[in-house]
Amino acid sequence: MVIQMILNGLMLGLSYALIALGLTLIFAIMNILNFAHGQMYMLGGFVVYYFYYVFGLNYFFALFMCIPTLALIGVIFEKFFFRRVLTLGRREESSMLLAMGTALLLENIALIAFGYKEQGVPPLIHGVIKIFGGYLPADRAFIILMSVLLIIGLLVFIYKTRPGRALRALAQDKEVTYLMGVDVNKITMLGFAVGAALAGLAGGLLALTFPIFSGSGTPITIKSFLMIMIGGAGVVPGAIIGGFLLGMVESFGYGLISGSMTYLIIFAMIILLLIFRPQGIMGKPWG
Amino acid sequence: MYFEMKDIEVNYDHIRALKGISITLEKGNIITLIGANGAGKTTTLKAITGLVKIGSGEIWFKDQRIDVLPPQKVVSLGIAMVPEGRHIYPFMSVKDNLLMGAFLRRDGQEIKKDMEMVFDYFPRLKERLRQQGGTLSGGEQQMLAIGRALMARPELLLLDEPSLGLAPNLVQRIGEAITVINEQEKLSVILVEQNAKMALKISNKGYVLETGNIVLEQESKDLIKNDHVRKFYLGG
Amino acid sequence: MNQKNYARIVLVATLLFIYLIVLPIIFRNQRYLLNIVITASLLSCASLGVWITFSIGRINIGQGAFAGIGGYTTAILIMKAGFSFWQSFLLAGLLAALIGFLFGLVILRLKGVYFAMLTLSLTETFRLIFLNAEGLTNGGNGIMGIPRPGALSIAGITIIPNFGRSNIFFYYLSATILIIVFLAVWRLYKSRIGWIFKAIRISEDLTRSCGINIVKYRIMAYSICCFLGGIAGSLFTVFYQNIFPASFQVNDSVYFMLYCFLGGLDYLAGPILGAFVLTGAFEVLRFIQKYQEGIYACIMIALMLWLPNGLMSLNLGKVFGKRKEKELETTEADKLLKSYNPDSGRKSLKKEG
Repeated sequence: MVIQMILNGLMLGLSYALIALGLTLIFAIMNILNFAHGQMYMLGGFVVYYFYYVFGLNYFFALFMCIPTLALIGVIFEKFFFRRVLTLGRREESSMLLAMGTALLLENIALIAFGYKEQGVPPLIHGVIKIFGGYLPADRAFIILMSVLLIIGLLVFIYKTRPGRALRALAQDKEVTYLMGVDVNKITMLGFAVGAALAGLAGGLLALTFPIFSGSGTPITIKSFLMIMIGGAGVVPGAIIGGFLLGMVESFGYGLISGSMTYLIIFAMIILLLIFRPQGIMGKPWG
Repeated sequence: MYFEMKDIEVNYDHIRALKGISITLEKGNIITLIGANGAGKTTTLKAITGLVKIGSGEIWFKDQRIDVLPPQKVVSLGIAMVPEGRHIYPFMSVKDNLLMGAFLRRDGQEIKKDMEMVFDYFPRLKERLRQQGGTLSGGEQQMLAIGRALMARPELLLLDEPSLGLAPNLVQRIGEAITVINEQEKLSVILVEQNAKMALKISNKGYVLETGNIVLEQESKDLIKNDHVRKFYLGG
Repeated sequence: MNQKNYARIVLVATLLFIYLIVLPIIFRNQRYLLNIVITASLLSCASLGVWITFSIGRINIGQGAFAGIGGYTTAILIMKAGFSFWQSFLLAGLLAALIGFLFGLVILRLKGVYFAMLTLSLTETFRLIFLNAEGLTNGGNGIMGIPRPGALSIAGITIIPNFGRSNIFFYYLSATILIIVFLAVWRLYKSRIGWIFKAIRISEDLTRSCGINIVKYRIMAYSICCFLGGIAGSLFTVFYQNIFPASFQVNDSVYFMLYCFLGGLDYLAGPILGAFVLTGAFEVLRFIQKYQEGIYACIMIALMLWLPNGLMSLNLGKVFGKRKEKELETTEADKLLKSYNPDSGRKSLKKEG
């Protein structure tokens, strides 16, 4: 029983970490809370649904297609919406409302295009792995593996590459980053694209076990907010910790008590956490 | 002329921060801008790098007009700036901070060589290579900020208040470092300082800014003797 | 100045005339249209509360929770404890304010996105509480068949007679409450407290250094906000005569905020304007049912792109007068505090040498 919950928690926690990383990346470089993050996750699910199931193509190709599709949406949002509002808006709140607008827009486009119906894709790998008396469907093991690989890939990108360094620089001090000769607009766009692509990839991965439907975005958005509150907004390790913790707690909660009670307890715990550590576990001190 | 600002005006909404500033600089020289808080010194530097859009006037660098260029293009021409308050990246290692300075360069080997050069000037940075920028002391941060600017291999270095908040002995060390770098790397320098004494000592030419205007412009050795400068900027 | 004041009085009088006399007469037999105006009035009430939290510099996406608290308090007191609407109405507001006060002690220490995210999850938390506390709330089945307000008598004198299910009566009830709330908030905002709220928004540290107990004032602001949310929720509940955990959700909290934005955060009339315009637009757009929310989203995006400071920042601002000078003050302060952005060509003065 406990093993089973840990196995489920691993899958949830690692894929949630992927989602939280994308959100925290966008937040760190633009100071924008991407309300459409859940919707981007949802679209990732549909990309896989169409390429893998409807068109019958290779799953890896379908999953890969999440990257250009969502990155394109991210770039469009950044270039045409957020950049202008961040430049013009007198208050930071404007960008928040804009983000809510984009979330609503994506959800409705999905609703019109795909309807209300829940979709699913056939399993990629059949079979069940038995670990210490717990059962792990092969697909879930695959999700765990892919999540770990993607997280490692992202960390390497952020900490070891030149664009990654520019992203970190931009998050820490925008003005000076101009002085380093960085094309700030281009790097900002890159950050938004990577953040969106991460949400899409998580959606594409979890499409293997969870239903794909147009309304799946908002709960993910709320969950991703919880994750970065737990870990600390705008901090990369914080996102991983926050996502992982939430996934684990969720898995144990669903196993032991009902779903809505679980979230009630999670909310209460987060409020308690923020009393003692308002900036989250790994966060920078916040005003 | 190697570098020239002609009649630069800058407006912040309704406030005119610069009211027609002209500055010239010859290759290899150090010039200094001195003045009180709010005189427009920082704005002048930001106008050069393109961080501030100018209202009117022209800025020329090596026969190229640069006031129309975005900051990253200005930087790529060989102008590096050390901003006021240092502004090193607090959550990046000293090494990554220095690498950010070389962001536009692709010559890996040369970058390594230049990093060694920076360590020659500021050995302390080598000791703290893996430490996060934010954990350094004020003086070390200033060294890092200057070192980071040098990593771009600039021809023209803009320094904004490098002595701010530093202990007197450190001010002297920074001053010496600027002189040495100027000589060895054939760098031209525009130095903005409130510490007029140090600035005038190491520079060739000085400009005195007051409320967005240049009120005095002389060889530094003459400015030191100027009554106005002595009274208001050198403490009598 | 006199000219301006005159124009203002005429405008306010015209709006009141339309609101209190023209609309009820035109819509008297069209229950549906009358309901829309009632809804907009109640939404305005709750949004005014959110606007107050904006005025202390907090982005509040949690008003739905307090509307829910007010609604459930009313429903439970009427249905299970036999209270009259009027008693439960007041208690609903007070309970919401009390809960807001208690939460405020903790969460108001947070700022910016943290406060926004936390209030957002507060809405979700209370939805789950209503769903799980089945003994009190009937869980997902909700509470239905709540009677409309009866007669109100104090010391044996009937002040408001029993109007039964008359919608006109409810129209005037909601209008009266909106006007009272607006006047109260206006009075508050023009007073010293209003200035303190604004000062807190511009800089908490600066305000604290002036010897002002900012903790007290921001809790005050938040409690008032929650009170308004509570009474709006209470009225909604008796208006629709039912309440469910899903009656007030995250989306509703977002919409309350949106009304403030749409009208303009710098203007007290902003949330009311926003609520009426959006509720109206919502109903017009209902004719193209399928695309309704999508178009709604486009409006939201377009507004932020081309009118980031709200509808009131259009020439209406001139009529609502006197704002101009004060607006300048706040923008100057804003600029001082706002971090620097080289793209915009507008610079903060903070870093000026």
